[in-house]
Amino acid sequence: MKLVEDNITTEELKDMAEKMFGNLVKAVVDIEKGTMVVNAEMHADEEKYFLEAGSNQQSLWGINIHPDKEGDDRIEFDSMINLRPSQNNRSRSVEDLEIQKRIIEIVNKLIK
Amino acid sequence: MASGRWNEMSFLEKMSNIGSEVSRTITAMERNDEVSKNAAFERSLELFDLTLNNSLTSSQLKELCRAREAWVDFVAYDNEYKSTKESWRNYFDQFLYAYAIQAGR
Repeated sequence: MKLVEDNITTEELKDMAEKMFGNLVKAVVDIEKGTMVVNAEMHADEEKYFLEAGSNQQSLWGINIHPDKEGDDRIEFDSMINLRPSQNNRSRSVEDLEIQKRIIEIVNKLIK
Repeated sequence: MASGRWNEMSFLEKMSNIGSEVSRTITAMERNDEVSKNAAFERSLELFDLTLNNSLTSSQLKELCRAREAWVDFVAYDNEYKSTKESWRNYFDQFLYAYAIQAGR
């Protein structure tokens, strides 16, 4: 598992994907801090990392990164940690389009 | 449940309360009662999240984050983690039992 605060290369992500899920890397993004944690077996483990570091659960969103795809297409909004009725998010996706935009902005900034 | 009262509970009491909502969710699933199931499920997630946002030890936090993910998977999605009603009941019954001992019952 790795905290990405500055940048990570596509090659690193491809290597992580190959060693675990084949074509994707699980990630949790902190939209308040603008960082992400990648490469755990479960989004829950990445969520736990952030919570322990003082993040608010409401700022944490799970995604899958597909390093073999380009641009925004490499981001898949799909994680069980996203199902939060208290935030009116009632699916594995990220239903708020503004939050989606923020996640895309952060991920695109961090992946070189 | 008011977060103030929740914050005063021990970890075991919190898990016992979550277990009650888990049990209600499962019972509603067995009756094919979607309305009750959804209400209990949402309450269970609210309690999970109230607990996650509190001070927990590292191992408690890990367990709770994983349990929440697996619970959502079981109730609302494809049960990729292959849990069962019985495994959920057994899991939370252990906390209820430990809480009862802690509370001197």
